[in-house]
Amino acid sequence: MAASVSSSASASAIKVPAGVPTLRAGEGNSFLWRRLHSLSGIFPIGAFLVEHFLSNAFATNGGAAYNENVRFLTGLPFVLALEITFIYIPLAFHAGYGFWIWWRGDSNVGDYPWLGNWMYTLQRYSGIAAFFYIGYHTWTMRFSGAHILTHSEVAYAKVWTELQNPWIVAFYFIGLTAASWHFAYGIWLFAAKWGFIVGEQGRKKFGYVCLVIGLALAGMAAGSLYAFITTPESQVPNMQEFQQLQHAAASYVLPALNS
Amino acid sequence: MANKSILLKIKRQSDPQHAAIWEEFEIPYRPNMNVISVLMEIALNPVTRQGKPTTPIFYDSNCLEEVCGSCAMRINGRTRMACSALVDQLEQPIVLEPFSKFPVVRDLAVDRSVLFENLKAVKAWVPIDGTYDLGSGPRMLPEEQEAAYPLSRCISCCCCMEACPQFNQSTGFVGAATISQVRLFNTHPTGKALKSERLHALMGDGGIHECGYAQNCVEVCPKDIPLTRSIAEVGGAVMKQAFADLFHR
Repeated sequence: MAASVSSSASASAIKVPAGVPTLRAGEGNSFLWRRLHSLSGIFPIGAFLVEHFLSNAFATNGGAAYNENVRFLTGLPFVLALEITFIYIPLAFHAGYGFWIWWRGDSNVGDYPWLGNWMYTLQRYSGIAAFFYIGYHTWTMRFSGAHILTHSEVAYAKVWTELQNPWIVAFYFIGLTAASWHFAYGIWLFAAKWGFIVGEQGRKKFGYVCLVIGLALAGMAAGSLYAFITTPESQVPNMQEFQQLQHAAASYVLPALNS
Repeated sequence: MANKSILLKIKRQSDPQHAAIWEEFEIPYRPNMNVISVLMEIALNPVTRQGKPTTPIFYDSNCLEEVCGSCAMRINGRTRMACSALVDQLEQPIVLEPFSKFPVVRDLAVDRSVLFENLKAVKAWVPIDGTYDLGSGPRMLPEEQEAAYPLSRCISCCCCMEACPQFNQSTGFVGAATISQVRLFNTHPTGKALKSERLHALMGDGGIHECGYAQNCVEVCPKDIPLTRSIAEVGGAVMKQAFADLFHR
């Protein structure tokens, strides 16, 4: 405004830099993608996260119970179609669009060090941590080594062997805590963004509910990890068969596609 | 404070084309000064701390009582109104910078027309234009008035936008102030005639969905407007509108 006054006064027109663009009412599809991103975090990804944490908590009941649960899950009809529809596509979209959101935001906790702003920043970095953890976890557990989808009886042995390295245990703990946190605060964000919880008091109270959910999930994950690392090798079912499968699978490029 | 002088560090820019430079000032201490009165003091004798003559600091201001919204700037790194920033409560040297996300016109004055454009994009007004006298409008319940009044206190200072991590050139996010005005006019008995138009406008690129709930807006708002509540309420209304579009069209 003031710039136009000064430009008319001086001979050479002063051009003010563009600044932040105005609202593009009626343009683009970002609303749809952003809301799908929000929804996909709750369903199916969040729902799968809870299911996956529960299934892995069967480790606290011993290797046989764990393998029995894996046998049930891998025996579901159309299991590959279920995986692709409810896990791979939503996860790839949520992660890809999530990186886009992270890249476009300008975190400013240095100047404005308040709780909501920290949560905003944490949500981005917990998502990135969870992404790298899930990438590693999916590659090692699903797409390489002994193939669990066709050999559910060695599932416990595979995870147990993986968790013999304390660095891997630490990495799992960080990844699982990040995923729990990201999901719990994601529920809070979902409720606020979709207009389910609007009032200040309500959002505050629901924040505590989500905190409990996040801590419960992280605790559940830690309990499952603890069950694995405290189990002696003598109690791991089908250890020899696992080692043979793992050795044989080493020559495969993508065992999932070869099954 | 035992200070016998007030130290300032001010980011200056002669015009949009020139790079910004820093200048330091030292003025005699007086009790109960605010940042605007300090800037006035500098204008009386525009000489830097190093003794170099310079130009008076250029800034926007008008009411000097936190009502007009024009003197918003970054003071010690944080966005706030200069008129209500009391020197006795500030850490020294007092660092003054223009808004970082708005085009600088000169020194501390920025071009905030993006907010005006956004308010126009969401039709933030009550439509009463006509060829004949429409008579008095519908009555508002006291409860509705009480909810609407805090929203009407917005002074268009743009603090909420400056402090927002999502308000930047990449997202083009509309900002909390505009969303809160949508809530104000959508709850107005006559203003709600344009409700669905406003909600549709907020679905466009840079709309309400870009909000990341960092909630800096509600913290920095000098008028204590319940901005996050507005965003949640309007967010819910936008979702209802989106589902209505999906299933009722």
